[in-house]
Amino acid sequence: MSDKVSVSLTINGAEHALTVAPERTLLDVLREDVRATGTRRGCDEGSCGACTVLVDGVPVLSCLSLAVTLPGRAITTIEGVRNGAELHPVQRALVLHGAVQCGFCMPGIVLSAKALLERNPSPTVEDVRQALGGNVCRCSGYTRVVEAIASLGGRP
Amino acid sequence: MRYAEPETVEAALSALSTHEDARCLAGGASLVAMMNAGRIGPGMLVSLHRIPELSTITETGDGLWLGAMCTHRTVAADARLRGAMAAVREAAAWLAHPAIRNMATLGGSVGLADPHTEIPVALVAASARVEVAGPGSRRVVPVESLFVDSYRTSLQRGELVTRVFLPRGEDGAVGHHLRFSRVAADYPTVSISLVLAMDGDRCRQVRVVVGSCGPVPLHVDAADQRLVGTRLEAEDVAEAGGLLARAAAPIDDVRGSAEYRRMLIPRLLGRALSQARERAHV
Ligand SMILES: Cc1cc2nc3c(=O)[nH]c(=O)nc-3n(C[C@H](O)[C@H](O)[C@H](O)COP(=O)(O)OP(=O)(O)OC[C@H]3O[C@@H](n4cnc5c(N)ncnc54)[C@H](O)[C@@H]3O)c2cc1C
Repeated sequence: MSDKVSVSLTINGAEHALTVAPERTLLDVLREDVRATGTRRGCDEGSCGACTVLVDGVPVLSCLSLAVTLPGRAITTIEGVRNGAELHPVQRALVLHGAVQCGFCMPGIVLSAKALLERNPSPTVEDVRQALGGNVCRCSGYTRVVEAIASLGGRP
Repeated sequence: MRYAEPETVEAALSALSTHEDARCLAGGASLVAMMNAGRIGPGMLVSLHRIPELSTITETGDGLWLGAMCTHRTVAADARLRGAMAAVREAAAWLAHPAIRNMATLGGSVGLADPHTEIPVALVAASARVEVAGPGSRRVVPVESLFVDSYRTSLQRGELVTRVFLPRGEDGAVGHHLRFSRVAADYPTVSISLVLAMDGDRCRQVRVVVGSCGPVPLHVDAADQRLVGTRLEAEDVAEAGGLLARAAAPIDDVRGSAEYRRMLIPRLLGRALSQARERAHV
């Protein structure tokens, strides 16, 4: 029998009171309990970045984070990045640059890029590449993805 | 599975002692990956994230104590890790990718003892010492005494790592970490960490450690001695590299064959020494 732990998680600003077994990951809880399925399950071992979310503003892998450890932390998923009906600037740039193909990796990429731009509003192309180091994309070859995000920094 | 979130080291030790199959949970980067893969199913997790002592960094005259729960991101950003201690800062700055560095911890790297990783390598090069807390007592041991085999440490059941001490090293010493990997975010194929002190153009002291080339970080006294007193010329580096390559016990895997890894050692050693040397002169 597993312990069942009552936790309150702050997801995109809203409190969610949940009862979870300690071995359940944030990814499991987001997709199965909260039904926020924008966060993707890729490799389940931290290698692909599809499940990236922000915890207190920095990118972490939800597949490797246990939900029981996260009360009191601000969790941001792809569902929480848009401003009302407006796409987030990173999302708009990705669309404008034609950077999205199958889209499976995009939630993770958008969150990694958002965290980068909040810390460093005018990143170089190299900064963008480093920030996306953990986000694997098997369609795009990355070029347009990196161009789209770097275009937001206003550097030539 | 049972779960505990103690707020002191003492409470963590007593939680660990209540269950035969209890494991510490730090950042979870490796532990949760192994649970997801069904490779382990601990009976109890004792999360260390609410213990303030374990995230503390303390500077002393001789060096820096880093709490076991310091993330790689925190270590990479600490500008006090200069001189010999920079080897550890550099290893933390470039390992894996940002999300892993945001989660994974120094203590987790020690507890995991994964021979493909590089924090253990840098810690051995920097002559780190580790404080281990067990039921009723704490002790400080040289970091290399903890790494006994692939994924095996000399920690006893119920013990945990509380903090790691990095000595400042002698005057003028510089630490450097060089990773060679297929792409930046991958585990290193081979890594080299070293601490070097020069007297003019002669090597006064050096400590070289090689990673991903055996079950534990590889340190060969004779290789260091082969370099001390020399001008680090090609022949000196080749011979010291040869000693390391012969002592290495690498494996074949997707990142490279054992033979390839052995060939890399002397070449990476030369590169790491010349990069460190440039820094020793600034
Ligand atoms: C995708 C991926 C890529 C990686 N790439 C690299 C790389 O390129 N280079 C590199 O060096 N490393 C790499 N790593 C390894 C990474 O550094 C380790 O996963 C990490 O440091 C483990 O720390 P953690 O805090 O997540 O530990 P956890 O996963 O929580 O724990 C790991 C082990 O250590 C034990 N433990 C944790 N804390 C303590 C403590 N204080 N005392 C005693 N035991 C403890 C746990 O019980 C467990 O057995 C990578 C990992 C992943 C998942």
